[in-house]
Amino acid sequence: MSASDLSILLLTLRVAAVSTLSILPFGIAAAWLLSRWKGRGKVSVETLLSLPLVLPPTAVGLVLLEMLTRSGPLGRLLDRAGVEILFTWKAVVLATAVMSFPLLVRPARAALEEVDPRLIGIGRSLGHGAFDVFTKVSLPLAWRGILAGTLLAFSRAFGEFGATILVAGNIPGRTQTLALAIFHRTQIGQDAAAFRLVALTVVVAFAAVWTTEVLQRRRSRFARSEP
Amino acid sequence: MRTRILAALLLLAMAAPGRSEEILVFAAASLTESLQEIGRSFERGTGNRVRFAFGASSDLARQIRAGAPADVFFSADTAHMDELERVGRIRREDRREFLGNSLVVIVPAGSSLRIREPRDLLALGRIVLADPEAVPAGVYAKKWLQAEGLWDGLRSRVVPTLDVRAALAAVETEAAPAGIVYKTDARMSKRVRMIYEAAGKADIVYSVARVSDSRKRAAADFVRLVESREAAGVFTRYGFVVRAAS
Repeated sequence: MSASDLSILLLTLRVAAVSTLSILPFGIAAAWLLSRWKGRGKVSVETLLSLPLVLPPTAVGLVLLEMLTRSGPLGRLLDRAGVEILFTWKAVVLATAVMSFPLLVRPARAALEEVDPRLIGIGRSLGHGAFDVFTKVSLPLAWRGILAGTLLAFSRAFGEFGATILVAGNIPGRTQTLALAIFHRTQIGQDAAAFRLVALTVVVAFAAVWTTEVLQRRRSRFARSEP
Repeated sequence: MRTRILAALLLLAMAAPGRSEEILVFAAASLTESLQEIGRSFERGTGNRVRFAFGASSDLARQIRAGAPADVFFSADTAHMDELERVGRIRREDRREFLGNSLVVIVPAGSSLRIREPRDLLALGRIVLADPEAVPAGVYAKKWLQAEGLWDGLRSRVVPTLDVRAALAAVETEAAPAGIVYKTDARMSKRVRMIYEAAGKADIVYSVARVSDSRKRAAADFVRLVESREAAGVFTRYGFVVRAAS
């Protein structure tokens, strides 16, 4: 593994981590709202939130690009505020965040929906507010689904390609993640160097999934042995 | 030669005291090795740092137009500079048309294919070039083939790539039986053979400019170094034609 391989790996891990952490509060909030909300329009909102799962990543990337470009609606405001997003690491975070958001929300929502409403009712009747009940009852019961969603979101962020290359370009050392570097090295005929990165991604992916599996198993045994 | 580069850099270093800067240079893929070499001398001589993003000029220009934080742009043509000038991302007075190049037809080193005249290209099953709709190397190739009256016959057999180096790689790995790239690209590779040179048949002009809102002094310094006689020596060694100062 060369120094540049390592720096690509670190950049990718950093960006994927920032992306996942930044969507975590919003994703859990959205999952919670969707799990409680029974009103009209729920299906439409759910569908809208899931769109990045279904749309080609390049389509999502193009929409983001047009919004953020200097003449775009958001881009003009950001430009005036002196904030640069496009073609910086922040663009990678943004693209991967949007692409991985539904992967966090869906399992988290399913887990929150499975929390027995009677438990929530008991919590409320003991005088706790909705937020307290959420943190003391729902979250501890649904954590496994939320963790699964978080891992899925992180994995997507780790490997995202299409939206990223459109809004962040492929700038070595700044926006070039593992997925982009593999593509770039293949394009210029450096297949062996590209394969080194493939090996790295396999190691990281294995480690991430394995850790989560172990973590879930240990916690579930722990939970069962509790009185 | 080396001492002269060092002397020039020393002058630059003295002219620009203060803290070191990092500049981001967007450059045509065909300039990869030559600019990296010049960039290394620049870093050694000035203490500044140069980061390169190489790719298709068309792609890089699009990114700069959208607001990419590049400090200097090298395009393999003038059309994309015109475009950036129109939208105010570069200034006319900062533009230099500094290099020329030519197109060659290449085949894998082990291939026995020969062509005597451009018409013989029609016998090929596939030919790889940088995207002829956007990327300069492909646009030049298309123009040349059109001038030869061959484009309509060949267009369905063209395999477009993202940039010229991807076309080179496709021939190197024998994924394609032939390709059209710059002469400088073909010279870089031991795994391809030039079988035809379209010399003087396409007017290939490279241009460079600093991006107008880059406030970094190192950006202008880097452009100045690229225009120097010392850099001209590097470009010539890689096979580029250095154009007289415009």
